[in-house]
Amino acid sequence: MTTTVSPVIAQQPGQDGKPGITYRQAGERAVLVEYGEMEFDLALNFLVLAAKDALDEQPPTGLIETAPGFRSMLVSYDPFALSSTVLLDHLQSVHDALDPDRGITIPSRVVHLPIAFDDSETRAAVERYIHSIRADAPNAEGGTNIDYVVRYNGLRDREELYETALATEHWTGFIGFFPGLPFMFPLDPRDAIFVPKYNPTRTWTPEGAVGIGGPCYAIYPVESAGGYQLIGRSLPIYDVRARNEVFRENPLLLRAGDRVKFHRVTEEELLQQFEQVHADTYRYRIEDATFDVGAFLEWTATVADEAEERRRRREEAASSTPVP
Amino acid sequence: MRSLEIVEAGIQATVQDYPGRRGMQAQGFFPAGPMDHLAHRAANLLVGNPFSAATLEITLGNFRARLDAEATIAVCGAEAQVTVDGTDVAVWESHEVPAGAELAIGIAPEAGFRFYLAVDGGFDVPLLFGSRATYTMGALGGLDGRPLQEGDRLPLGEPGASGRRGLAPGVRPEYSREWDVRVVRGPQAAPDFMTEADLETLFGRAWPVDPNSNRTGIRLESHKFEWARRSGGIAGGHPSNILDNSYPVGAINVNGDLPVILGPDGPTAGGFVVAATVTHADFWKIGQFRPVGDTVRFREVSLEQAVEADRALDESLTDASVEAAA
Repeated sequence: MTTTVSPVIAQQPGQDGKPGITYRQAGERAVLVEYGEMEFDLALNFLVLAAKDALDEQPPTGLIETAPGFRSMLVSYDPFALSSTVLLDHLQSVHDALDPDRGITIPSRVVHLPIAFDDSETRAAVERYIHSIRADAPNAEGGTNIDYVVRYNGLRDREELYETALATEHWTGFIGFFPGLPFMFPLDPRDAIFVPKYNPTRTWTPEGAVGIGGPCYAIYPVESAGGYQLIGRSLPIYDVRARNEVFRENPLLLRAGDRVKFHRVTEEELLQQFEQVHADTYRYRIEDATFDVGAFLEWTATVADEAEERRRRREEAASSTPVP
Repeated sequence: MRSLEIVEAGIQATVQDYPGRRGMQAQGFFPAGPMDHLAHRAANLLVGNPFSAATLEITLGNFRARLDAEATIAVCGAEAQVTVDGTDVAVWESHEVPAGAELAIGIAPEAGFRFYLAVDGGFDVPLLFGSRATYTMGALGGLDGRPLQEGDRLPLGEPGASGRRGLAPGVRPEYSREWDVRVVRGPQAAPDFMTEADLETLFGRAWPVDPNSNRTGIRLESHKFEWARRSGGIAGGHPSNILDNSYPVGAINVNGDLPVILGPDGPTAGGFVVAATVTHADFWKIGQFRPVGDTVRFREVSLEQAVEADRALDESLTDASVEAAA
């Protein structure tokens, strides 16, 4: 057996205010570029989006595409047109040219979306999981994932979870999984919660379901498998048939850098709005805005102590909660 | 314009092209395209098409279609009874068929799970974002973004080559019920995420293919790995959990305890480790796994060996590998 000891093919230490970079082989046609350490630091995501833009502007011959993650970027290439050595040199020069100054302003829309917590469709998905995949999953006890999320984070009750989800804007760090799914992260560090993912994953999730996995929120754009704990349901965010005017230019509602703000509705209201979306009578509320990264990072520093205190409490609860 | 009408679609038939719809992973689209790119390419070679021409991917068989004009066809993939107007024709060879002929593909009885039907000129459905590939998860591409149904009529491209042709010896791959697939370790393997013993397990045993497998992924069997970390930390309590990132096609993605090989319609991103990645040279095999009874063993190769294997496969699929059929 040929043994490469590690899939890490190169590493660059952090310097000049920039995080370290780890290059990992991802098959012979892609490299996974990771920034910094595995921590919930939104500054890493801002760097990823800047690096992707810079690379898309000056792609080397043979580059096929780049797909970001929270703190990483998958770079796909044609190994017959571009060697991994030349690609890595190119990526390093792109990184070296990035301005470490965080005083940038990013175009960032605010997209307002309704959410119905604990709705019957997401409950049905959990029931289906219990019956067809795993009956004894601790995260599905009582036919819901919500109580598990509450318990894992040491929250008072379901209401405190709902308030936490509603209080903050959610930063769309990147799009992926299936078409248009936003990987979203709470911008207010005090509202950061964490939860393990399903084990094993679900084979069915309804369109519009809202879930949490790790530190991340997602809205499921299409019926699909899934691994996040489901807390409720929002509206369609992908429609290739463009039944609503919002999808006419682009079948995807959301893009990286958007902020999502949820407001609470009843399930009845949500189902009505679902129909209105398809009938093209619902109007999505989207504000054009910008996001000042420097001001954001300064502000998070002012609430850091409070966030840290909550994080400690949540970690304590997590340590005594079973993992699926 | 010539066309082909679906008489019976079987369990799933879709229009696919190669290499599929690339450049959209950052929006959540995997490339789609044939699950077995080797059989797709071979079928196109036999009828004189470029690899980018669309073929039909037919799952398991039980398929019938009628051509309204003369055409040259080839069926590559599993061994099965294939007939034109009731007369047996060989798979992995091209055949000239008369206008009005009915093509029938029986059920694959043994090894192999998919067929690729190429017609000279290719299936001329509209290009969408640069590809004709059907991507049912996104409801786009192919014919209205969905699997084919009885009565669908697919337009064909301009007539091209004719004549009976076969492939040089050694080009047609051998199928099995016990598959051997070359992989490259990572991006998340040992020592950071899994132990060396975990990788020995992953590469050392035969994994049964789960019936819950399809174009989005091949599910294997749950296994308690040792893991190098006790927890996924902030990414979730299970050591398979990581901060979400984009996945390569062919990723062996460990969802909790369950390894899943991501297929051409699979999730483009998520928060589970990818222990190894299937080489492009062997990725075609996952399209031929039968979801009941087949097993797969993973064999680790280096990055350089993976590129060499890709090159060798590409070089075996050129016009030079096509010859007049006996």
